[in-house]
Amino acid sequence: MPTLLIHSAAGEQRLAVAVGQSVRDALDITELRVRAACGGTGTCGACLVKLIGGAVSTPTVAEYMKLTPDERAAGTRLACQMRLKGDAEILLDQPAPPSHWKSLPVENLTTPSGSLPDLQEHIYGVAVDLGTTHIRVALWDRKHGKRIATRRGPNPQGAYGADVLNRLDAARAHPDRAAVLAKLARTAIIQAVRDILARDVGEVTPMLAEIGQVLIVGNTAMLALLTEHGGAALVDPAYWQQTIDCRPADAAAWQSQWFMPNAAIVMPTPVAGFIGSDLIADLIATRLTAGPAGSMLIDVGTNTEIALWDGQHLHVTSVPGGPAFEGVGIRHGMPAEPGAICRVRAADDGFTCETIGGSAARGICGSGLADAIAVLLAQGKLKPSGRFAVSPGPEGFALDPTNPKSTITGIDVDAFQRAKAATAAAMAQLLLQANLHWNDLQRLCVCGAFGHTLDIAHAQAVGLLPPLDPARIELFADASLAGCEESLLAMQGNAQFSALTAKTKTVNLSLVSGYEDRYIDHLRLRPIQINI
Amino acid sequence: MLDQIVKAYNEAVFETDKEAAFDVVNAALADGMTAEEIVFKVVIPAVEEMMSNITKDPDANLAQHFMTAQIAAEVTEKMLVKFEYPPEIIGRVVIGTAHGDLHSLGKRIVMGCLKALMVEVTDLGVNVPAEKFVEAALAQDAQVIAVSAMMVHTATGDNGARKVRQILQERGLESRFRLVVGGAPYRFDNELYKTVGADGWAPDGVNAGRMIVNMIKEVKAS
Repeated sequence: MPTLLIHSAAGEQRLAVAVGQSVRDALDITELRVRAACGGTGTCGACLVKLIGGAVSTPTVAEYMKLTPDERAAGTRLACQMRLKGDAEILLDQPAPPSHWKSLPVENLTTPSGSLPDLQEHIYGVAVDLGTTHIRVALWDRKHGKRIATRRGPNPQGAYGADVLNRLDAARAHPDRAAVLAKLARTAIIQAVRDILARDVGEVTPMLAEIGQVLIVGNTAMLALLTEHGGAALVDPAYWQQTIDCRPADAAAWQSQWFMPNAAIVMPTPVAGFIGSDLIADLIATRLTAGPAGSMLIDVGTNTEIALWDGQHLHVTSVPGGPAFEGVGIRHGMPAEPGAICRVRAADDGFTCETIGGSAARGICGSGLADAIAVLLAQGKLKPSGRFAVSPGPEGFALDPTNPKSTITGIDVDAFQRAKAATAAAMAQLLLQANLHWNDLQRLCVCGAFGHTLDIAHAQAVGLLPPLDPARIELFADASLAGCEESLLAMQGNAQFSALTAKTKTVNLSLVSGYEDRYIDHLRLRPIQINI
Repeated sequence: MLDQIVKAYNEAVFETDKEAAFDVVNAALADGMTAEEIVFKVVIPAVEEMMSNITKDPDANLAQHFMTAQIAAEVTEKMLVKFEYPPEIIGRVVIGTAHGDLHSLGKRIVMGCLKALMVEVTDLGVNVPAEKFVEAALAQDAQVIAVSAMMVHTATGDNGARKVRQILQERGLESRFRLVVGGAPYRFDNELYKTVGADGWAPDGVNAGRMIVNMIKEVKAS
């Protein structure tokens, strides 16, 4: 892919950009965005950049209309109109103010199939995947089946604890804080929608009134915190296997706070206290129950959720894998965003690190960590116990000796071991509950934190995924949001969700004897033993 | 020969290689070593070494502690059934996770070490009501009640260790049992164990094993 070199007040940044992609689209997934007030149609003229050189498309009619001859002579271009043909170099001296919200990479998005709703008014709809660590939002023109834009940003509740229980604890201990946590999430959702409207439509308040539905999926704890419902109950294990109604108590107040007077706020009821509607959204997106018996889905995250389809029932469970796969609690961990080391390969006796977007490494994401550990293991630098053969000391082992952000510490390896052991042991336990074996798995859908960049062979070598024929393993990025979008367009409200939920059989691993032994057996860094 | 077996066993434990540890033990049995010798001359010294090393080995991580404690417990369990006479137990402990808490792994390392040190452990599981701790301690004639809690509200709440202490007081059982606690909240506040009425705590599972053994000795001496 061609490289785009960007000069800005933040310094130099290199970005791998597909041929034909606009500079604006390329920058929208990074922290460095151009100013914008239209959907990239060239009508607002805000996304000014200066072309220094390189192979790019010639100026469009829109650019002739929006830019003066002097500006054009000086190399000024509209970032939404200028597309890359090869390597190029630009100056971005008037970037948009910094924001937490970024577009999702296009390759993560899927277009839902099926017929479109026949709508006369309030044709817009919002799909929200409310995650513990990240919030993902998509705005749709439902009538025409057109996705306007997507955003991903951090869940601001993270300040009250990286994991679910700490946050529930905070909300339970102080009623005031419960209100604060709920408001943080509600504000974040509307900020994301407003960011889309401001940058991709060009009109905010009038458009908010045209939104007819907001469909929100998430894990039960996040939905409970959002609605100030049942949070206290969720901390009590007695409620873990019960259905918890998380609908907003006062939808009118939300509509008014969001300036969305016509939006129906739909929140499908989560499966149980510890299994959310995000898992059901994954099932919708992957069509798991349409496949053969022995189809499994894992949604890897801070709280990993797993479903196993045996042809009749969906055995479902969740396990607190810890936030390691999302880069939280790892020394230089970061989510799968530009600058994250996402792939690591052995090269002679060293390593080559590939980052998202091709820029200099700012940290390492879940797939990069799995890769690095697999390569270190294969090279004998790391032992199956998780110990380094030669202790690198508290500073850790540098994959790239010239980049201090590329180091991996013993504590990082420990966090990874515990997260992968919880995931593998939960899969093994669920198979046991369904009376199936690893070899019975015909299809394994891996959703969540790893996105598309997980190296399956490496994940198998360290015992994160079973050593099945790789053709049976499929990677999905942002599947919960995709399922939520599909449901938003299907206009069936809760029906799709409740039909799948009716097939579920929940398993609470905390109450299953033998799960702990299985967890400890999976802590070693070695392939899962599938034939015993 | 013993030296070689000890060396090979310790190496397997250090590498957290359970299969290799069992290979060493099975080979030793085949060579005529008794199950008693294996437990007292190989396994227990290895656990004691792990306990004394834990603070000196900054590279050892939590995953390794889980695995080594598990190896010690499993090897001991397999050897105990081969003992010619039932082994002499140094004491009894009832252990569980506080009411409202489903975190069970915290007590795994403690249990593994205690079993290997010939302490009889009764695991009450997770989400254990305070009354059940006391009833079980009486039924087992235990010396120590160990309450694990991983969340702030289960560590400090009225239905956890605090309530166990209250019941012991009300029933005049305080001289008979020591109450110990463990879990993340106690690490954040090293004086918290006193607040909830416990006699002791430990910052990690391996040290908890050592602390509990000392408590058993105290109760037996009194």
